[in-house]
Amino acid sequence: MTVHERGLVGAMLFGPLTDEEWLALRLSLQVATCAACFCLPLAVAVGYLLSRASFVGKWLVEVLIDLPLVLPPVVTGYLLLVCFGPHGPIGALLAQWFGVKIAFTWLGAVLASAVVSFPLMVRAVRLTFQGIDPRLETAARSLGAGRLTAFFTVSLPLARRGLIVAWTLGFARSLGEFGATIMIAGNIEGKTRTIPLAIYSLANRPEGMEQSWRLVWLSILLACGALVASGLLERRRPHDAA
Amino acid sequence: MPLNFACRHRYPSGFDLDVAFDVDRRFTALFGPSGSGKTSILSMIAGFLRPNAGTIRLSERTLADTAADVWLPPEQRRVGIVCQDSLLFPHLTVEGNLRYGLRHRRRPRRAIEFSRVAEVLEIGPLLRRSARSLSGGERQRVALGRALLSSPEILLMDEPLASLDTPLRVKILAYLERVVAEWNLPTLYVTHAQAEVRRAAEWVVIIDKGRLVATGPPDEALSQPEPLAWAGSAAPINLLKLDSIESEAAHLTARLGEQRLFLPPGVGPASSPAFVQFSPKDVILSRQDVAGLSARNHLRGRVCKITVAGQARFVAIDVGQILWAELTLEAVDELDLQPGREVTCLIKAHSLSVVG
Repeated sequence: MTVHERGLVGAMLFGPLTDEEWLALRLSLQVATCAACFCLPLAVAVGYLLSRASFVGKWLVEVLIDLPLVLPPVVTGYLLLVCFGPHGPIGALLAQWFGVKIAFTWLGAVLASAVVSFPLMVRAVRLTFQGIDPRLETAARSLGAGRLTAFFTVSLPLARRGLIVAWTLGFARSLGEFGATIMIAGNIEGKTRTIPLAIYSLANRPEGMEQSWRLVWLSILLACGALVASGLLERRRPHDAA
Repeated sequence: MPLNFACRHRYPSGFDLDVAFDVDRRFTALFGPSGSGKTSILSMIAGFLRPNAGTIRLSERTLADTAADVWLPPEQRRVGIVCQDSLLFPHLTVEGNLRYGLRHRRRPRRAIEFSRVAEVLEIGPLLRRSARSLSGGERQRVALGRALLSSPEILLMDEPLASLDTPLRVKILAYLERVVAEWNLPTLYVTHAQAEVRRAAEWVVIIDKGRLVATGPPDEALSQPEPLAWAGSAAPINLLKLDSIESEAAHLTARLGEQRLFLPPGVGPASSPAFVQFSPKDVILSRQDVAGLSARNHLRGRVCKITVAGQARFVAIDVGQILWAELTLEAVDELDLQPGREVTCLIKAHSLSVVG
């Protein structure tokens, strides 16, 4: 974005965004988009499975998925750090095999957001598939479509709106992620300092409270935008009914 | 022989199904009261319910053979299904639904053409509509077309008319008869409505409580004591096919072979073939023809069978077609009714209802 365009966004908030604010906004959007996009296919698979299949230990899977919803995010972040940190079992392997570092990079912020928003997305997806008659897939199969084809040509298109809602939910939850993020990704300006972390950092400085209100407004704006978009999509849901 | 079915299955609930039958007539009805196992049988043929033991063969292909561990997945069976809720894909148009079967069909032995299906089922004007905007009757026609276009080797219909009202039923049944005639497709039609069996089926397989009760031509099989003993919809009904309808002065009459039937006033000539339906309770039997009665219809016939069902006696009389009269035990004794006895059936015109 050019200085002019940044000025345009800033003008709506009574003045152009500073470099620090701009970095935080860009990083937040980047992290939230990546987290929601990474989670959606997984949430579709898990949500579909939970809505249709019954298997031994289903309750355990449900508990594990929902855990980040009720755990303090700091605890989630701590556990992630233990696993994905430079000396953690997964983190060490990733570094060794692919040279990828998760902890204290923006990928860490994505991972933290993904884990915390995953249960919300699974819930939305599961509800959507529960509202779709499973016999439609059996009809598709008797017409010659294989199991996967039936899923991709019938259930998935019917779930389209629900999936958009799930994505928006995950995106909005990621925008607000703080506790888990600060544990695994730290608070590095320009690298892992998303809007919530930037607000926290500002508020800790003398006279930072006055500077942080602009980011507070930005957060409110983004959250409202996501909720309105999700609400609009959910209200127009002719496909899901039948 | 198109379909051989022999399966045994025990549900966790304790319900035990053990049925074997063949479908070699074009239009075979699978008839039985609710909960008798009809839908389970269809699910097994379609590949959605794996029986504990048994074999299913369709035109020399083995769909299932538990002893040899053969179990074809539904998509490889070439079985067309139409059920009560038509299960159209709501996100597609009518044409999209029809083409779904066309797109996914697998090397059919003979291809059923899109244009011909649209023509026979009169779907043309609906093609661009959304599947959600259709009426009940339209939905069933489209569901039938969609199943046909997958070029199945057998059509399975699970109470396809149950959610429609009577005039619509008759109409859809006529479409179905057209389809069976056009493509000569073996059809297994599940129903608990006797009128549909009597009208359309060439052969009927009757089951109850997971067991085979009788098979045969509808008139014969439905006159077994077991189906007659079922309450409600399975008690015998009379459905006589009318040869022609004539309008005479203020009322209508119909030919029934050599005999003549007075129809209730105000009923317009329906589409042909037309049937007249009435309850066996509305039939009075008399050994001699009697004069001076208000009942308009005096049909001569011969008793061919007397079936016991609880307290009631159902007497089958051949008046050219089989007609049932429900009598008390005392009446049967008093009239000394036996097979071969000539009787007159007295029926009020107002007891008759004409179905097209």
